[in-house]
Amino acid sequence: MPFRPPDRSNLIFAFLGAILVVFVAGPLLYLLLRAEPGTLGQAFTDRELMASISLTLLAATAATLLGALLGVPLAYLLAGRPFPGRTLIQGLVELPIVIPHPVAGIALLLFLGRHSAVGGALGKIGLEFVSHVPGIVAAMLFVSVPILVSGSREAFAGIDPHLARAARSLGDSPARCFRRVTLPLASRGILAAVSLAWARAVSEFGAIVILTYNPKVTSVLIFDRFTSFGLEAAIPPAIILLVIALAMFGLIRFLQPTIPQ
Amino acid sequence: MIRLEGIEVRLGQFALRDVSFEIPPAGYGLLIGPTGSGKTSVLEAIAGHAPLRGGRIVLHGKDVTAVPPERRGVGVVYQQNNLFPHLSVAENIRYGLAHSDLSEADQRARVGELADSLGLDHILGRGVANLSGGEAQRVGLARALAPRPSVLLLDEPFASLDPATRFTLRQQLLDLHRQEGVTTLQVTHDFQEALQLGNLVAVMSEGRIVQHGRPEEVFRHPNSSFVARFIGAANVIEGIVTRVGDAEGADRQFAARFSAGSVTLDVIADREGLLNAVIHPEDIVLNHRPTGGSARNQLPATVTAVELAGPVTYIHLDAGWPLRAAVTSASAEAMGLAAGVALFATVKATAIRLV
Repeated sequence: MPFRPPDRSNLIFAFLGAILVVFVAGPLLYLLLRAEPGTLGQAFTDRELMASISLTLLAATAATLLGALLGVPLAYLLAGRPFPGRTLIQGLVELPIVIPHPVAGIALLLFLGRHSAVGGALGKIGLEFVSHVPGIVAAMLFVSVPILVSGSREAFAGIDPHLARAARSLGDSPARCFRRVTLPLASRGILAAVSLAWARAVSEFGAIVILTYNPKVTSVLIFDRFTSFGLEAAIPPAIILLVIALAMFGLIRFLQPTIPQ
Repeated sequence: MIRLEGIEVRLGQFALRDVSFEIPPAGYGLLIGPTGSGKTSVLEAIAGHAPLRGGRIVLHGKDVTAVPPERRGVGVVYQQNNLFPHLSVAENIRYGLAHSDLSEADQRARVGELADSLGLDHILGRGVANLSGGEAQRVGLARALAPRPSVLLLDEPFASLDPATRFTLRQQLLDLHRQEGVTTLQVTHDFQEALQLGNLVAVMSEGRIVQHGRPEEVFRHPNSSFVARFIGAANVIEGIVTRVGDAEGADRQFAARFSAGSVTLDVIADREGLLNAVIHPEDIVLNHRPTGGSARNQLPATVTAVELAGPVTYIHLDAGWPLRAAVTSASAEAMGLAAGVALFATVKATAIRLV
């Protein structure tokens, strides 16, 4: 094939795109290059850091599981036939995307704090949020739920409704059809949404720092180390959190829906 | 047996209105009509996927109007086959057997039996993503038939197939229909398919059944210019009918004159006024010279085009109106019919249907 010089406009677009790619990848690569074996080794013996990572992963997992339990059925309903209030509910669930996270933290503090009706009632049964692990889970759930519900809704909406009809005509009750057809076909999309929500929960800082500064999740610990001891002290936990995020990113890409519809 | 009694369905802006017809047990019915006439909605209603606002659906004597889809015993094959993409061919066919009382071995035997009838043995273990159009439709048909439904609904199953595959699948479908004895209703927009497959045809327009009956009967005696034009089997000419004789016989028919533009035809009518004359292409006789006999309408015409359609050739004529006549391809050749040839088109008054 004869060589064809690239279109001039494509060259301009490529140049503009390259600036953005460098802007995103540059700082992350730069941070990873700062990882020194000695410093990282030391980080793994840092008990406070290890405890914060465990807390972050556990709280993010709890928030994601809770989100999936409550959000996947909602996503299924939102993807189905229109019903009164569907647009309103969809908007409400997606609202946390546009709310600044410290604002979300303050709202959660007011809603779940001991002086509110909800927080007071939950406190009586031993569920404390402010400065307790449930507060971290609540903040993570609040910020990650739009991702989980939207992603799952898209996964359900992408399934041809004729498949469910065919399954019903072949003898499936609605519940059985959901289990045999709808859920298996949506599963990769849901898993991708759940993974993305989990990654979002792991990276949350703004809402958590207001609701539950202590015990510290890793993002709060990084902030704490940076403000108390300076940049060098914040680098090892930052690298470890970045590696966790990158691993999750790889998993999400792997889970992108590929089943033909 | 499928019996629809005045069913009413509303789907957004579209509505099915007073749809009624009956297909006898083990019969083969066809619903035909233009796109958007409501054919698929009728199937959806029978399968239980479109709620009724009125009327009744009776399947084999049982009123199923309020019965959910999974308990209607209805198999459905869609135009786009809608196979389950996460299951293999065998798993797709076996899907509906999960609810049956059949043992594992009997289920496998049923899958094997259908695969054998439809020539699917060699692809049972494959996924459905890369099947050809014909294979996918055969899998869809086997899946629908596997649980031995009492009613089979087919939504334009051959629409996206090439002619050769369509022909083969049509034959296999007829064989299976005879073998399984399942009452079948198929949606199509191809009247030729209706003539070949069905023993009842219902023509739909704008959510209503406008004519139903045996396919040959609908073909020979369309009850409206819409049906005549839609089935594409006739010349339809609008004109004025004027009485010239007295009414005779039980049906009070009379000799009349049909005028459209500069051309006049002798016809047998039962009413006067603005009507459509329906003339089937095969009822037009072509000759190079005027002929005698009982035929009363002899029109000088010129051939405008010759359309070869296998053993039959359609001769397009200008006889004052555009007309289409059908002759055997051998006759067309023997008569030297070609564009520009002048001849006489003859049609009996009794062969002209007024609607």
